[in-house]
Amino acid sequence: MSVSRRGFLQGRVLPFSGAFIAARGMEAYQADAAQGRGGRSLVPPGVKEIRISSNENPLGPGKAVLDAILGKFPEANRYPFNSTPSDSTLTAAIAAKFKVKPENIVLGGGSQEILKNAVRAFTSPTRGLVTGAPSFENCPGTAKKLGHPIAEIKVDSAFRLDLDGMIAASKGAGLVFFNNPNNPTATVHGAKAVADFVARIRQSSPDTVILIDEAYHDYVTEPSYQSAVPLALETPNVFVTRTFSKAYGMAGMRVGYAIGRVDTIKPLAKLQLPFNLSVFGVVAAIAALGDQKHIDAERDRNTKVRAFTLNALGEAGCKSADSQGNFLFVDVGRPAKDFHDACAKQGVVIGRDFPPFEKTHVRVSIGTMEEMEKATAVFRSVLRPISTSTGARIEEASWR
Amino acid sequence: MALTRRGFVQTVGIGAAGALTSSWIGARGRENAIWSAVEPTLLAVEHGVIVLASNENPVGPGTKVLDAVKAAFGEGGRAPGRYSNQSRDLIDAIAKKQGVKPENVVLGCGSTQILRSATHLFTAKDKPLVGTIPTYEECAGYAEMMGHPVRPVSLDADFKIDLEKMADASKGAGLVFFCNPNNPTATYVGARAAREYFARVNRESPDTTILVDEAYFDYVTDTDHDTHIPIAIENPRVIVARTFSKAYGMAGLRMGYAIGHKDTIKKMADWDGGSGTGSLNVLAMHAGTTAIQQDPSFTANERARNKAVRDFTMKWFADRGMKPTESQANFMFVDIGRPAKEFREACLKKGVRVARDFPPFEKTHCRLSFGTMEEMKKAVAVFDEVLGKKTNAA
Repeated sequence: MSVSRRGFLQGRVLPFSGAFIAARGMEAYQADAAQGRGGRSLVPPGVKEIRISSNENPLGPGKAVLDAILGKFPEANRYPFNSTPSDSTLTAAIAAKFKVKPENIVLGGGSQEILKNAVRAFTSPTRGLVTGAPSFENCPGTAKKLGHPIAEIKVDSAFRLDLDGMIAASKGAGLVFFNNPNNPTATVHGAKAVADFVARIRQSSPDTVILIDEAYHDYVTEPSYQSAVPLALETPNVFVTRTFSKAYGMAGMRVGYAIGRVDTIKPLAKLQLPFNLSVFGVVAAIAALGDQKHIDAERDRNTKVRAFTLNALGEAGCKSADSQGNFLFVDVGRPAKDFHDACAKQGVVIGRDFPPFEKTHVRVSIGTMEEMEKATAVFRSVLRPISTSTGARIEEASWR
Repeated sequence: MALTRRGFVQTVGIGAAGALTSSWIGARGRENAIWSAVEPTLLAVEHGVIVLASNENPVGPGTKVLDAVKAAFGEGGRAPGRYSNQSRDLIDAIAKKQGVKPENVVLGCGSTQILRSATHLFTAKDKPLVGTIPTYEECAGYAEMMGHPVRPVSLDADFKIDLEKMADASKGAGLVFFCNPNNPTATYVGARAAREYFARVNRESPDTTILVDEAYFDYVTDTDHDTHIPIAIENPRVIVARTFSKAYGMAGLRMGYAIGHKDTIKKMADWDGGSGTGSLNVLAMHAGTTAIQQDPSFTANERARNKAVRDFTMKWFADRGMKPTESQANFMFVDIGRPAKEFREACLKKGVRVARDFPPFEKTHCRLSFGTMEEMKKAVAVFDEVLGKKTNAA
């Protein structure tokens, strides 16, 4: 399959085509997985895999959540609305956390459902999507399926979302996807910059909806950063997405949500898949919200391991963008694929290609300290010689 | 926000073609979840209430499946923190069980996602959805939301799908939703007659896709019973939907799937397939993998258990002069001669929750799901009290 990922990003509309799948974006992976397709791992048999490819919390959700799931076994047979607590209890718990009303919240099967539905609700053939390059691909993936235009604005020299560029592109757009911190570059914009960004788009293009995805909110340590939730609640056409997949350690449970003004998020409520959350996801999320200590501990743990990994890579001559997430975007000075494949052969699986930086940069998620000690040793061994691309390509299943 | 459920429903209905369509939505069912963002749920289930409202298996998935969920926590309980690629094993297990290839299977977050994908892909502004009235509302609700027309087809005198009328309505349709057994009427069209109907639609309207919803497949005891999966894998215009929410007792886990021709399945997966990073959760996928590999005696036992309860409950109503339709499912549709709402509210006060309204029969008929035998014995005592009373119904 010769179609490159670059082709995917350049906005060619190839709905349902093999080329789309070959691009190996997250959406493509999802379609593959839904049909049980997908690539084989390069990790040799018998080698214990260190999976630092998908920005997951390596420790999982913690005991309070697991106990809540176990306690839900008697209601595995009940629809979420028939179980106690029900999905509306979760909505109320999230609303209480932010001191808003339940109608300010829309639940999603992961925040990905919200992102997908936002593109469906707010873009059209004449009102496109504005996003960063690189940024999380769910929104452009959906826009492409629908044949709606996409403007991808390259990040600035510090690998931050280019505010001026995105503002300029937003005029007349349907939706702006603003990932803060930005996946895969891990960079963040401070509260003032975000407020200014929103105000300027509101001024130049008041009908444009702005989606601020704060999936990695709980990992940020930069003091100038603040959540945009208060901004969203006071500003029409702005909403924030959050997920339980990252610091909360529940990527496998598929729970996320949107928060914003009722008029703004109503179209998302309308498109919501009925019964989208499992009873386990519901109780897990409720239990997780009640265990803030677990989240604080996870942030501290990540901060420590992130600093260690940054330092180790720095000593090996590799510069990273300023990370405010549970992952790093690192200049390894060679194609991501070469580095990825070489590491995978030693049991360390890192992130996929992220154009337009796939010739130089890789994304490395932060595992446990023990995992990162091993992983950085592998990185050092791979970085020593300049590797060349091996012969036959075996596709690797890494998807976020 | 003062938006009422009904108000919202009417808003959604704007632009839809069929005259009867807003009553489909009015029939409810989907909305507990859909509108949860806008309004609180209709009713919270209190402890001790016997729930006979949602066609669930009252016994649950069994210990083998729940043990698999526990095992899926993984080392140190870390596995739920990972995006899962368990979907491959699940698809393989489903394919093996149904005698098809993995390329014939796509997963969904409940069959709800399957129904939505099919409606999304196969209806359009000029390609209506066809379905009986009443039937399960997901497809019609979604079509209306998209502004695609809906062609409702009334049932026959026995509350069964009227195949003649359906065949006429199917001409030029984008998608036919063929729910068999039909929810909420519980009636079943035999395999032979259904096959003839599919062939006729293929002949008379070759571009029309038929979605056969076999959600209640495992509860059927009719002798002319067969799955339509063998047709679906050969014919790009026939899709079969299945769910783990009914006989497998896993409504809370949200898992279903479609089986069809590989080209049709690929279209559905590419548009919106449930998977490891989509809406399917890892615990459900492990549970499903275990559930479908169980000995067939699991579903056979559940079918037999349900049949005993069904016979008992249907006889109870028949003995009192109230006629149920011929149920082939884990629920019944019965003429109680008064508004369902009145009956429902009276029962709920006594700790039994029965189903919502199903227009156009909400003034006379009620849908009851079957609980355990113990629950049904308690429930009929409540029904006796409620139905014995003179009501102020018209």
